Amino acid sequence: MPVTLRQPGWSRASASMVLGLAFSYALSIGARAILGYDPLLDGESVMRIALISVPFFFLVGLGCFSYWFRWASGAPTVPEDHSGHGAKSWKSYFYPNTDHKVIGIQYVVTSFFFMFVGGLLAMLIRAELAAPGRQFVDSNAYNGLFSVHASLLIFLFIIPVFAGLANYVLPLMIGAPDMAFPRLNALSYWLLPVAGTMMMLSFFAPGGSFATGWTAYATLSNTAPLGQEFFTIGVQFAGASSIATALNFLVTIITMRAPGMSFFRMPLLVWANFSTSLLVVIATPFVAASQFFVLLDRSLGFNFFDHGQGGDVLMYQHVFWFYSHPAVYIMMLPGFGIVSEILAVKSRKPVFGYRMMAFSLLAIVALGFTVWAHHMFVSGMQTWIRVPMMVTTAIIAVPTGIKIFSWLATMWKGVLKLDTPMLFTMGFLTMFVLGGISGVMLAMIPLTIHVSDTYFIVAHIHYVLFGGSLFTIFAGVYFWFPKMTGRMYDEKLGKLHFWLTFIFFNATFAPMHVIGVQGMPRRVADYAEQFASWNLVISLAAFGTGISSLVFAYNMVASWRGGPRAESNPWRSLTLEWQVSSPPPIFNFDEIPTVVGGPYEYGVPGAVHGVFGGSPTTAGPGRRGPATTAGAPSA
Amino acid sequence: MDAAVPLAGAHDTHHHGPPEANRSSRVDPQLLGMLLFIISEIMVFAAFFTAYFFIRIVGENEWPARGTELPVLVAGVNTAILLSSSLTLHWAQTSVKNGNRFGLKAGMFTTFLLGATFLLVQVNEYVHIGFSPADHAQGSVFYGLTGLHGAHVFIGLLLLGVVTVRSFRGHFSKEEHRGLEIPGIYWHFVDVMWIVVYTTIYII
Repeated sequence: MPVTLRQPGWSRASASMVLGLAFSYALSIGARAILGYDPLLDGESVMRIALISVPFFFLVGLGCFSYWFRWASGAPTVPEDHSGHGAKSWKSYFYPNTDHKVIGIQYVVTSFFFMFVGGLLAMLIRAELAAPGRQFVDSNAYNGLFSVHASLLIFLFIIPVFAGLANYVLPLMIGAPDMAFPRLNALSYWLLPVAGTMMMLSFFAPGGSFATGWTAYATLSNTAPLGQEFFTIGVQFAGASSIATALNFLVTIITMRAPGMSFFRMPLLVWANFSTSLLVVIATPFVAASQFFVLLDRSLGFNFFDHGQGGDVLMYQHVFWFYSHPAVYIMMLPGFGIVSEILAVKSRKPVFGYRMMAFSLLAIVALGFTVWAHHMFVSGMQTWIRVPMMVTTAIIAVPTGIKIFSWLATMWKGVLKLDTPMLFTMGFLTMFVLGGISGVMLAMIPLTIHVSDTYFIVAHIHYVLFGGSLFTIFAGVYFWFPKMTGRMYDEKLGKLHFWLTFIFFNATFAPMHVIGVQGMPRRVADYAEQFASWNLVISLAAFGTGISSLVFAYNMVASWRGGPRAESNPWRSLTLEWQVSSPPPIFNFDEIPTVVGGPYEYGVPGAVHGVFGGSPTTAGPGRRGPATTAGAPSA
Repeated sequence: MDAAVPLAGAHDTHHHGPPEANRSSRVDPQLLGMLLFIISEIMVFAAFFTAYFFIRIVGENEWPARGTELPVLVAGVNTAILLSSSLTLHWAQTSVKNGNRFGLKAGMFTTFLLGATFLLVQVNEYVHIGFSPADHAQGSVFYGLTGLHGAHVFIGLLLLGVVTVRSFRGHFSKEEHRGLEIPGIYWHFVDVMWIVVYTTIYII
């Protein structure tokens, strides 16, 4: 056997995938022969097994499991060999790597790739909806477009991009040399392209892509064509990835903090990811189970959702939303963390009510599990669940409100620096408040009954996920771009990106409130004449939003290739990740820093957050400046 | 991704290893990771129990449906077999800590045999039980829950099989037995979960 096929890597992965396909054929034909089914060769059955097994063969071939196989069998492992740690060239990013900084960049770049794919699908959706009647896709293809759009952007963009940003900065922030389980971290990343590729490939499945929305309600999903299983199985890989990452974050935060970094000296981004990870570990298994049920019903003839056989259709929605409501906090809490970091640095003030900010995160985690049925007010479930769910949903706005007011108080009388990260942060504040208010409106049963399944829902979800989460993602990417790449981005293009996004985003989604209240149903390819003018406006604005993301892409690529070199601490921030070079050295720290104070003491005379080798960290631009007080104007 | 080129060159190259991470908790990271993983696993089971109770209680189906009487006694004996495997595993773990090689080998071997017996009895039950998951929702939740548990037993057996072979090859010592501890926690979890599954499905 040639060496390239024995070494972990892409050749072995490709060969392994062919093996996996052969295995799927063998297993399917073998099982059908034993059970006496006719015909022996069934394409759907082979495809189903291949969807599950080929990714594993791929990951084994790529070498994601090599170390564990050696470890479990007691073969000599070489933990001191750091050959798989750190990037040696751009090629390193295409192999499993144990360096959290490499994995963070892999995560972020991959997620943004899926953002552009998902955004492109949104452009197609808006092109179809630009005028009433059928433009260029039939209704089934249209259903496929919005289903893949939502699934990619939720499971392969927003959730993993936060995990990617945190992967990069979180170990640095708490003074750890890496994550607790670097190899698990590498595996979590490589599950993502698997899941995303699977969802995109569903367009080539017989019968078209999955077209049941990202919620994939049973029994619609039970009877959908084969493309549905690309979602059912793809979500399992994405879910496994986020559980593994969450577990990794929790262990890292609990066991690897620098000396002196007590829980209440942790930056709020760390708190946010701690809370998010708790949600992921507890809730994500439920979406896995809901898709297991669908898969068992579809492939082995189970009757979980067949009412005629005693199954329960609504059970799917309960199990699904028990994950997917906490999931909206999984998609938001890390953004809260990013916002807290940026607001303190850019306002040169301590975060107002630091402890309440931390506690409100935990309150959201706890309350997040008590509100799932507000997605089901019109589903025909037991009526007595509705009012308790309405009340808890209204209550969950309280900890969120605490955060909003704390951020406003943080900015109050601060010395605001209105650069791109700060603009996106403030854009987030306004847009998220609007999305939050329509959320509280939607918690009210009478209003929900009126606007359920209209564009009002579409407007709400995009105000919280685009105006909320995506704005914090942009803010975070601009904020940590110098740290991650060692280059500065172009501030002018950044501001242009913000204003284009902000204006076109509002022009796209604000009118949806209006046509939603007027009754335009969502998830339908056609609509009544009366909505034509608004929809044309929305479509044009949506194309503007699409163009604004090209400004972002150009800025990122061009600045990464040829931007000016970044200082180690361009924002004069106090947290630990800015005290090392940009990008950080391969093992983060020469020696682990000691933490002696809170992370946000901007403008507090004499306050120090961390001490590196005896010298206190500063908010100055240098790497190891002389001991000055925090926040003293040095720029 | 091409743009990553300048990044690589900027890395410090004079480091040869990471600084030792500070231990901010007395809990062993591997142990904590396993416990969190088990929390996730419990939630998978919780989702299947949700399905079970929705179909049994909310669905107001006849319970048990005609022809779905379960072999409570056989499964009870099987439960005893699985639980005793936890004891023998504990024996193996204590033995390795005391440097007792025989106890380690015998304990692991017995544990593996008991686990395999449990799985075989379960398969035998499937063959003779007289209904399939495709017959009705009761069948679906029965096969769903016991099958989910059986899959966990199977994975646990794979792990224990590796540990057993290794213990016969002379691996593990008084000081280094983490390869035995971590799969051990998983196996105990699988056993405890079976008590819940058995009680819910067979008894109440």
